[in-house]
Amino acid sequence: MGKAVDNQEERQTEGVGRPGRPEPDPGIVTTRIRARFGDTSVSTGNAVGCESVIAERDALLPFMTFLRDDPELAFDYLVDVTAVDRLRLDEEVRFAVVYQLYSHKHNRRFSVSVPVPEADPRIGSVVSVWPGANWLEREVYDMYGIVFEGHPDLRRILMPDDFGSYPLRKDYPLHGKGERDNFVF
Amino acid sequence: MTTKVDAVVGWARKNSLWPMPFGTACCAIELMATLASRFDLARFGAEAIRFSPRQSDLLIVSGRVSIKMMPVLKKIYDQMPEPKWVISMGACASSGGVFNTYTLVQGVDQYIPVDVYIPGCPPRPENVIQALMKIQEKVAQAKAN
Repeated sequence: MGKAVDNQEERQTEGVGRPGRPEPDPGIVTTRIRARFGDTSVSTGNAVGCESVIAERDALLPFMTFLRDDPELAFDYLVDVTAVDRLRLDEEVRFAVVYQLYSHKHNRRFSVSVPVPEADPRIGSVVSVWPGANWLEREVYDMYGIVFEGHPDLRRILMPDDFGSYPLRKDYPLHGKGERDNFVF
Repeated sequence: MTTKVDAVVGWARKNSLWPMPFGTACCAIELMATLASRFDLARFGAEAIRFSPRQSDLLIVSGRVSIKMMPVLKKIYDQMPEPKWVISMGACASSGGVFNTYTLVQGVDQYIPVDVYIPGCPPRPENVIQALMKIQEKVAQAKAN
């Protein structure tokens, strides 16, 4: 615990697994991951009502394959892929790609968050692990401009093909940049 | 003599409108209710909904139109044979409605000519019937050729 002036803030955020804060007791999934990858590769938390992990993007594919194939984890279902733009929030890295996983075998949910820097918005595709990631990753690419390397067909999925912006980025204006008035067909 | 031909043709046209529905949102549900037995658009001769624009003379735009959908709507309008009329049903088709956002066309009348606008979100079937009667007035006054 910090000094007396920090105590109030310390109490409010206690147990959410931030760097420098006390982490909650590791659960089954966290323990299993640590046994395989060691303590250094991941930091864990309990942010969304299930166990969660902040993973490195460089070793993403082996990590995700482990989550799917390990018999005690068996996360066979990729529920959702989305991204968070943390612009103007107190975060070092602007984007985070978030994977929601579910294991039918163990009736267990898990959340993987992967920081992706603005200067180099690339991350490996997990289509080879869960084929259902195909359209989900296309949507993240469409809305945030994060490129999924190794994706079989990375095109825009919602916006028109010639749409020049990534509309869910926080620095994109709500009313757009004139696209709705100036489009040609 | 020509005025009488115009009158006869206009009378025939206004009582046999064949609508082309362009339903993209909740307005389309109200449009379906208008066609069904309680409100019964057949009373006005407009029950023959055609899902081919080539067999239609009344385009009913009922719902949001995004900038990706607008070329589709324009193509459907262009495919309809003359003479043709357009109803813009509901707030979204007429003005963008509450969706003042980057991707939504703020009124289809920027790209296709609209004859009658229906306010409401969504409009009740009575509003649609009123709009159809307004269209009928306009059709009756049109020239035969």
